Amino acid sequence: MTLRLPASRAVHRRALLAGLGAVGLASTGCDNALSALASLFTEGLPARIDPPSGAVVDPIHHLLGRAGFGPAPGQIEAVRAMGKEAYVDAQLSPEGIDDTACNLRTGVIDTYNMPTSLLFEFPPAEVEVELRRHTLLQAIYSKRQLLEVMVELWSDHFNVAIGKSLCKHLKTADDRDVIRPHALGRFRDLLGASALSPAMLVYLDGRENKVAAPVDRPNENYARELLELHTLGVRGGYTQGDVMEAARCLTGFVVREEWAPGLVEFVPERHDDGEKIVLGTTIPAGGGRSDVERLLDIVAEHPSTARFISQKLCSVLVADDPPASITERATATFLSTKGDLRAVVREILLSEELASATGSKIKRPFRLVVSALRAVLADTHAKGSLLGHLDRMGQALFSYPTPDGYPTRSDAWLATMLWRWRFALELAEDRIDDVHTTWDGLRSSLTAGRDGDHEALFARHLYGRAATEAELAPIRAYQGARPSPGRVALLLSSPAYQRY
Amino acid sequence: MGDAARPMIVCVFLRGAADGLSLVVPHADDRYYELRPTLAIPRPDAGRVAATSRALDLDGHFGLHPALSGLLPLYRAGELAIVHAVGSDDQTRSHFEAQDRMEHANAKERDSGGGWLARHLATRPGGRASSLAAVALGATVPESLRGSAVSVLESASDYRLGDDDQGFALALQALYQGAGDPAHPFDDALLLSGREALETLDRLRSVDAGKASGARYPTGQLGHALGEIARLARADLGVEVACCDDDGWDTHFVSDQLIPRLAAELGDGLRAFREDLGDAMERVVVVVMTEFGRRAYENTSLGTDHGRASVMFVLGGGVRGGRVVTDWPGLEESRLEEPGDLAVTIDYREILDEIVRERLANPRAGEVFPGLDARPRGLFGG
Repeated sequence: MTLRLPASRAVHRRALLAGLGAVGLASTGCDNALSALASLFTEGLPARIDPPSGAVVDPIHHLLGRAGFGPAPGQIEAVRAMGKEAYVDAQLSPEGIDDTACNLRTGVIDTYNMPTSLLFEFPPAEVEVELRRHTLLQAIYSKRQLLEVMVELWSDHFNVAIGKSLCKHLKTADDRDVIRPHALGRFRDLLGASALSPAMLVYLDGRENKVAAPVDRPNENYARELLELHTLGVRGGYTQGDVMEAARCLTGFVVREEWAPGLVEFVPERHDDGEKIVLGTTIPAGGGRSDVERLLDIVAEHPSTARFISQKLCSVLVADDPPASITERATATFLSTKGDLRAVVREILLSEELASATGSKIKRPFRLVVSALRAVLADTHAKGSLLGHLDRMGQALFSYPTPDGYPTRSDAWLATMLWRWRFALELAEDRIDDVHTTWDGLRSSLTAGRDGDHEALFARHLYGRAATEAELAPIRAYQGARPSPGRVALLLSSPAYQRY
Repeated sequence: MGDAARPMIVCVFLRGAADGLSLVVPHADDRYYELRPTLAIPRPDAGRVAATSRALDLDGHFGLHPALSGLLPLYRAGELAIVHAVGSDDQTRSHFEAQDRMEHANAKERDSGGGWLARHLATRPGGRASSLAAVALGATVPESLRGSAVSVLESASDYRLGDDDQGFALALQALYQGAGDPAHPFDDALLLSGREALETLDRLRSVDAGKASGARYPTGQLGHALGEIARLARADLGVEVACCDDDGWDTHFVSDQLIPRLAAELGDGLRAFREDLGDAMERVVVVVMTEFGRRAYENTSLGTDHGRASVMFVLGGGVRGGRVVTDWPGLEESRLEEPGDLAVTIDYREILDEIVRERLANPRAGEVFPGLDARPRGLFGG
């Protein structure tokens, strides 16, 4: 689907961009204008916020942390008014949600919105950073919050480490053309797009997998991860023989490196066109390019895949070790709908098991950053050190080196506490360049018309419940040179804020 | 026994399944050259090949990859032992399964998920461990330390709060002091991690960041990590276990272009580490391992696919080195494990067991490697 534009056009476009720079469209001025424009399409900071005050986490606050990256000011009230089920159903159809404000911020990210072949005109570091910025800004500002959660989930599930070879350019295409369009679609479609994603063909050596001569032996790299990580799971009932047969089905695809670089092509001369037997099903000889589709049908329809994918969705959305009752219902839904992700995710999000799993997970660094920026309605274009904070906390975006993706389990994320605290401090003290937060505005919305125990109100806003005396005492006692931001930083650094 | 006098183990994990047949070449085995017509490392006496491309002979049968030349003096000095055709009983050929299994080092049917180094720290004799007892260079806790409090850091001098505010640390101490909430299984672990981070912060303020050693480490992930571990070791902070990873060994494709760089960083890094530590090396043992080896024959993209046995390196004080420890199975078709892999003839846990028992002086090694029927290979002592 790559658009093929003549090279001269690309050169012309770059010259035009350079010209714009020369006439002095300074990027900060541009960002300010964009921020102002975006603010016209958002609700902004409500004059008064009534944060949850119960002893346990407010159910809407909890849902917004599972079907999204946590509430923005005023969002709990809005969802309460429309009802949980209506909110979830709206989120399940992201195309119906207006996202103008977010699009204003991400639409100007040049390389993300460019045909794949043109990406190669830009230095890889620039393309990588723009993809990371795009990801962060979407998660912070998109009203299609559930879609963003699913994009994160599938980006790990179908992990492509951006550092490998052409992936520096091609991961952008993978994110845009593979992950996002199918994140809430049918699993088989997502799998099919991923299998022939140029980035995946590079990352797991699919483009090297060929049988062009009788002595050639297929490259098993992708075939193994397809079965082990993407579909059946390691105990899903396949054998080394199935891996080798799957690898034969997948032979013959290449990724062009020049003249429309990134274009995927099937080369019949590199394909093993003999008969294959995968998981007991025979794929007759002579199938050519259609072998890959037959293979993916077989693995996508395998009951182990329904179980493995449903288990994964539950462990990400509900709890590290979700109750068997919800994984069984999710698996049954996956099977009965032939892998309709909307139906499976709906079953999980509206379940009693999810509702009662408050605080059962630890925020990964990406979620910690995004949830904090959402909670304080920060204004950012993610151009400064924000991405560096994620690197330090151990979640440099798209950089996980192995195909299993960043860990989803909570206990894997406990080792970088100090970097979480440093982020909290810098955010509260307004020291992160290109992140602007109106702490005074938030404070007055929270205290509007009330006698201010500021810390208790901030805690309710951030935790979704009233903090206990034991939780508040050390924060109230904190003095320091700048006690106010220091206390907010402590709230963001506290054990309670690391959970969701 | 003070912290500083305790032995220290450095565990280097080559992620991605390092090709033992390229690192330690069976150059006396003709089958090796048949199986790898383009990728085999030429014999030490091969004519028509530059000397710098040939294997470096060790014992008449095995030779080091030429890029591992940094290890040759350590081998000759008797400080480095090499173990060949070593591996685990994991048959999945899956990186993640095999790495997890190897780092947990349990018998197959009893894998509880905890790491072998964590079990060593929990069972070793002596007093309370330092908050820096276990250090991992990188961004995540390695599975071998799963179950232990681990200080994960990129470098020693980075690890502090931005504004160095003691008051802030005190308040955090109070916040992370509470008892865990029984409703949340990880809660204790979260609070413990917070307290450990604060303790580490205190101790690391004492590291003399300015004391340069003069050792020249290769640039890259592994060289950097080894340099940082040496800094921590020399500062006597009570580090007992240090783990680091070296990524990129999954050489399905053009391995002849990938392995020289990887091997050079490994060999030169260990050599620099040895020189850097000087006399302090007496109480340090380094073990280098990988999840499995690679197929004996090459594939058509000039690489090798997932195999079975590979190599281990053991370096340090007390090591009876200068030899290749092996029950060499050979590369004949009938000796290869399906579908064409070097057979595992030494269980990697036997090597680790000997290190824990002899070198780390832990008499409860049986609890570290449950169910293991160990045959000591005489890696230590005279």
